[in-house]
Amino acid sequence: MRALLFLALLVSPLAAQTYQGKKLVEASLVADTTAIVPGRPFRLGLHLRMAPGWHTYWENPGDSGLATTFDLELPAGFEAGPVSWPLPQRLVEPGDIQVYAYRDEVLLVRTVTAPVTEAREVEFRAKSTWLVCEAICIPGKAELNLALPVAPDAEPANAELFTKFTALVPSGQAPPFALEWSRTSTGWNLSIRDAEGAKRADFYPFADNEHPVGHTAPSQISDGSATLAIPVADSAPVRGVLAVDNGERRGWVVESKTTISSPATQTPGGTTGFWTYLLFGALGGFILNLMPCVLPVISLKVFGFMRQAGDSRSAILKHGLAFVGGIFFWFLGLAAVVIALKSAGSEVTWAFQFQSPWFNFVIGAIVFLFALNLFGVFEIVLPGRAAQGIAEAGSHGGLAGSFTQGILATLLATPCTAPFLGTALGFAFAQTPAVIFAMFGAIAGGMAFPYLLLAAKPGWMKFLPKPGAWMERLKQFMGFPLAATLLWLLYVIGQQRGTEAVIWASASYLCLALAAWLYGAFLGPLSSTRAKTFAALGIALSLFVGLGYFAGNLFARTTIAAAEKSSPAQAGGISWIPYSEAKLQRLLAEGKPVFLDFTADWCITCKFNMRTAIDTAAVREGFARQGIVPMLADWTNSNPEITRKLARFGRVGVPFYLFYPAGRANDPVILPEILTEQIVLRSVGITDNTHRP
Amino acid sequence: MKTQILSFVAFALFAAACHAAPAPGEQAPDFTLTDSDGKSHKLSDFKGKVVVLEWLNHGCPFVKKHYDSGNMQKLQKEYTGKDVVWLSIVSSAPGKQGHMSREETNKTKQEKSAAPTAILIDEEGTVGRLYDAKVTPELFVIDGSGIVVYAGAIDDKKSTDPADVTGAKNFVKQALDETLAGKKVSEPRTTAYGCSVKYAN
Repeated sequence: MRALLFLALLVSPLAAQTYQGKKLVEASLVADTTAIVPGRPFRLGLHLRMAPGWHTYWENPGDSGLATTFDLELPAGFEAGPVSWPLPQRLVEPGDIQVYAYRDEVLLVRTVTAPVTEAREVEFRAKSTWLVCEAICIPGKAELNLALPVAPDAEPANAELFTKFTALVPSGQAPPFALEWSRTSTGWNLSIRDAEGAKRADFYPFADNEHPVGHTAPSQISDGSATLAIPVADSAPVRGVLAVDNGERRGWVVESKTTISSPATQTPGGTTGFWTYLLFGALGGFILNLMPCVLPVISLKVFGFMRQAGDSRSAILKHGLAFVGGIFFWFLGLAAVVIALKSAGSEVTWAFQFQSPWFNFVIGAIVFLFALNLFGVFEIVLPGRAAQGIAEAGSHGGLAGSFTQGILATLLATPCTAPFLGTALGFAFAQTPAVIFAMFGAIAGGMAFPYLLLAAKPGWMKFLPKPGAWMERLKQFMGFPLAATLLWLLYVIGQQRGTEAVIWASASYLCLALAAWLYGAFLGPLSSTRAKTFAALGIALSLFVGLGYFAGNLFARTTIAAAEKSSPAQAGGISWIPYSEAKLQRLLAEGKPVFLDFTADWCITCKFNMRTAIDTAAVREGFARQGIVPMLADWTNSNPEITRKLARFGRVGVPFYLFYPAGRANDPVILPEILTEQIVLRSVGITDNTHRP
Repeated sequence: MKTQILSFVAFALFAAACHAAPAPGEQAPDFTLTDSDGKSHKLSDFKGKVVVLEWLNHGCPFVKKHYDSGNMQKLQKEYTGKDVVWLSIVSSAPGKQGHMSREETNKTKQEKSAAPTAILIDEEGTVGRLYDAKVTPELFVIDGSGIVVYAGAIDDKKSTDPADVTGAKNFVKQALDETLAGKKVSEPRTTAYGCSVKYAN
């Protein structure tokens, strides 16, 4: 009964168009809310229901017909957005007359912004004209009124109708598949690639009086690919809607481009300038210095500076520059790799290296050997000792060491996508090689800044403690954070490939340790030739067993499946649903609000956010009360679907958080990368006053 | 192999035949049609004169807009007075909207005070397809040498409301004035708006 009353409130009286006693069109004005909440936007829809066989028209009617109009007369202070047109259908009449039209029913939606108002009720007036056609065409029009109460809170209304048609409104975002435009003698070819699961593609052009766009034959999609031929005079630029059917129809606004474009080439926002992004990149690079996985190496470097403080100024400057050179070498090398892979068409994303268990394994080996070196198991020729020899050779070796440390510091920094870095990289990945180089250079510069400063002003190193015997203890102590880093890498390997992979990686590392010990104990300048020979044999054997058998054989055989068996897809107390685009779209179509969390086990920021801001009692309770579906996109292992989804929002890294309010399938809220419980609660619309003290 | 080539050629010819829509700057395809008085007219016989082709269907709300407001008749009177040949063509198939017998056609012409040179009956839709006419009203202007100089809409106000005639930019008037003055048509192509031409199939 209550529902009926509400319905009566939220739908205007019907206006019917009749022709020779037959009802052709029923028009009504509907709202998506039970009441106006001052300051909160809501939507008004023009709902047209056509008699069977009759149709009304899209914004570009095609060869004949006329677009429906939907004008709103708004009270003072209210503002309405443009009309959102759902995807039309292509109807073909005799004589190859093609029209873009709606059969049965359509909802044209406009978003209305409500001001702060004292009124208790607000009345909206809509005027609409349309042309309804079967074999013949009849113009129709209606004036519709809808009164809505003003209230501090409101419930969704007509949700089914709004959800159904807003899902059909073309998205302004890039589609989740690759598009390629090429000019032809008669217009354009629009090629679709990697549209997995899609069956059919169609193109509806926007009207262009200067260069009329002809009709595009719909195309079946096979193996995710299709090509649409769009005829247009003089091969003028075209804009329109690409419709793809993969069980459900979805549309994207597309525009012809002379260059090849892929989903990753869409930039977020587009207003933030190049220099701002470079600044963000540099700032992000600087913050990378403070990341827990970099800190041990940084401390080592500081330790290096301290040792060199007694050397000549020019030597210090050289070491500093070598270290900085290492940082730049890594970032620019990474940029080169990214550009190479990008042009090879691969999906390349920030921290993508950590999605490869082999990458983690190798980094783990390096970190472990470094730790053993600090513990004193073996020693590489130290710059200090070398300095006692030929001065030139000594400084050369030292510089190489500084250079390597620069590389290592940055190598360890990549998994921690610092704040700003996500946005900056999202921008950079969408750009030309030159810009990618500039961006990575900016990050390198930001990270190198403190060392450059110390190298240029070695005097400031006075503030650092004096060298002494304690340095040896400090050096040994530094091995422990490195060992902890190894633990973290092993944890990631475990998440990727299961417990077995961790065991085999560790066994491999043990063999490496044995080899390192043999090297340190028996290959020194004081050992006899006999000892050296045995030691070399032992090293070869343990490397063979460690790398060849444990790593190359057993570790290589572990699979993702093992990891999934050993770790359930749960990350805490919230019952997360694993992400898939199909599942997400289904939930959104049902009108459910969805919180989508993009995470990875190698992402420390993600873990921190989860622990402190998401998986908390208040958020859990809020999600449950408001029926918000928590969905987890786990990017620990490479997952093209998640990569594409991130790319649609201009992101190439995690963490990333989206909230889809009920009925807003095309317009999710983007949360910041660093979360607090308050931010999460506010973003998903859980207000504090629900928790009474 | 041979049949493949043949079928391709056949397809190409078919495709060419289908898309013979004369664009501005091209020769207007010749045709012969009988008018509502039973008189035969051949386009090429009007060589030396400016010719207007107007696709007509009196049942169509867009056509009604221009006849009920008197806009179309005014144009017809003004330009036939300037020695322009105005041919209204009805391509509606028998049994479909807009199709009329000769008597009905003449009766309607009188009722509406229409003043074309002739109303041509094209119930097979042959000429309609020859010109790729899609809607009513759709207009073509052909110059004295038989070249299409304008193809498209009557004006720039896409609606069925007769009130919209005032204030609209009339593309046909502009094309005729420019052609009669020996000038190049400034907007030779627009997108016609209206009801679909009611072809048989």
